[in-house]
Amino acid sequence: MSGKTILYVEDNEYNRKIVRQLLAKTTYQLREAFDGEQGVAAAVEHPPDLILMDIQLPKMSGLDATRQLRNDPRTAGVPIIVVTSFALSGDEHKATAAGATAYLAKPYSPRALLAKIREIVPED
Amino acid sequence: MPFDRTDPLAAFLLRSPLGILVRGVARIRTSVQHKLLAAFLLVTLLFIVMGAFGVYTHRRVSQQTDWLDEAHRRVDLSHQLQHSLAMQMHLTGMALIVRDETALANILRENNRFNDTLARIEEQAPDAERQIIQKIRAGQEEAMTVVADIANLVRDDKVDAATNLQLTREDPLYRSIDGLVHVVVQHEDVRMATLRASIDGANRRALIVVSSFAVASVALALIGGFVISWAFILPVRAADTFLTNLAASRFSGTVEVPNRDEFGDLAARLNETARELARLDADQRLTADTLRAVNVRLEHASRAKSEFLANMSHELRTPLNAILGFTEMILDELYGPVPSELKEPLADIQTNGAHLLRLINDVLDLSKIEAGRMELALGDYAVEDVVATVRASLRSIAEDKGLELVTDVEPDLPIAHGDAKRLTQCLLNLVGNALKFTHEGRVVVGVERLGDQLRYRVSDTGIGIPPEKLDEVFDQFRQVDTTTTRDFGGTGLGLSITKKFVDMHGGRVWVESELGKGSTFYFTIPLQVERAVRT
Repeated sequence: MSGKTILYVEDNEYNRKIVRQLLAKTTYQLREAFDGEQGVAAAVEHPPDLILMDIQLPKMSGLDATRQLRNDPRTAGVPIIVVTSFALSGDEHKATAAGATAYLAKPYSPRALLAKIREIVPED
Repeated sequence: MPFDRTDPLAAFLLRSPLGILVRGVARIRTSVQHKLLAAFLLVTLLFIVMGAFGVYTHRRVSQQTDWLDEAHRRVDLSHQLQHSLAMQMHLTGMALIVRDETALANILRENNRFNDTLARIEEQAPDAERQIIQKIRAGQEEAMTVVADIANLVRDDKVDAATNLQLTREDPLYRSIDGLVHVVVQHEDVRMATLRASIDGANRRALIVVSSFAVASVALALIGGFVISWAFILPVRAADTFLTNLAASRFSGTVEVPNRDEFGDLAARLNETARELARLDADQRLTADTLRAVNVRLEHASRAKSEFLANMSHELRTPLNAILGFTEMILDELYGPVPSELKEPLADIQTNGAHLLRLINDVLDLSKIEAGRMELALGDYAVEDVVATVRASLRSIAEDKGLELVTDVEPDLPIAHGDAKRLTQCLLNLVGNALKFTHEGRVVVGVERLGDQLRYRVSDTGIGIPPEKLDEVFDQFRQVDTTTTRDFGGTGLGLSITKKFVDMHGGRVWVESELGKGSTFYFTIPLQVERAVRT
């Protein structure tokens, strides 16, 4: 049956495709959003089991979105992994400060990402 | 407006009548030296005139005193005449009684003395007295004839006749002479009184004149000194105020003095200097404004470059990330079994993609550091964790090359403060390099505490660095030669970035090496880094 749901907020199509294909062989259910605003709306409407949030997003940054979700009682308890950019030093600090459960520095290996997801929300 | 309005003393002085004099002296077109000389000469002249008048007065008084003395002497002599007359009368009486030649001789002697005295009076007598003296001499000569007659009568024993002659002729004659002498005495008395009055008058006049001269000289000397010194002090004060303004960068003022001497020239030079300074100041301000504008433009350009690089590297990395991600998933056989002949080329794609990613990251780091936009994320960290991360990251590479990777961290190091991520990056660069350039042997990663400093050390048994290249290894895009890049890979930026991060931590990095035997890279950083050092 349907497993745990993961909401992936990312504007780059290929990155979404990698995660989609990475999770295809697992029980995780993937939902996708393309920008910060859409991500927040999707998360609030049907709170997922985990949110994977890119930091650089159109319309609303990943950090702002994370902050907003943390302040919303419906999503306050949902774990969020923020995908930071290696280039911007201090992103890890900002991510944690915004309320991220964990962060993963880009470029990440799909293997490492899957391991991180499994660590936070174990597969059914 | 001469002199400075803000100088209250000068303003007060210039409103007084003395101010006109001061200005007048200032306006005289001659040198300061000549003005001073003229003032001193004027005062000196006054004192000379005063001295000359004193000498003249003194001489006059002393002449009159001499005249007074002479008058005195003549009065004395006149008294002697009177005495002599009395003696002659007395001796004549005596001769009549004693009828002795000696008495007669005494009269003659007395007569001689009388004549001598009379001659001495006549020597210095004024003309008015000479006539009286002539009369006295005539009287005396007549008296002598009478005395001679009396003497003859006495010798002839005609005493009665002699006595009669004495009473009728000699006595009245002597009395008349005595009267004349008395007139001379009175004359001299009057003259003495006049002289005394004249001397008194002269003395009084001299006192008044000399005092007036003295007062006038002193007053003139004081006024002259005051005027001339203020004619010099005022321009100096004006110059002082002016220079104070100049020193405070107020170049717009001018110093205006009425002086037509060296001070006038000085004021003109000062005004020229001020104009020149004002011009230079304006130039300098203009240049500074231009530079500021250029600086702002440069800053914008630099920021634009930095932002461009940051954006560009993000844009470059996003597809690279996808390439690496897909390759890894293919190799992980997420899409199904991978034919064995494809495994090697896929691994090569992965290796080269990873290298390209490192290059992009390094270029971005360096450009951010150079744009001054690299920040350190300072926090507490454990040195052991840093070394453990490096060891974990590079252990497989060391094992693949058959090298020993040894860690040698001083036990019980305290918790340090700094940017652990950047320090890890530095150590990764150094250890990565060491592994790259070492073919056999081992690489040691050591950390020691030296006072309030930490010393990181990475030594290898690799190819070493020629001594002449030791200074260059931390320069950008430097490897010992271009062939090393080809043989060993690497971006050539790792050591530059390491040096920059160590500098930002307030530390120092250096290398010791022996060609063919190996190299040891060191860097020291403070145990507690409180804030990043801007380089």
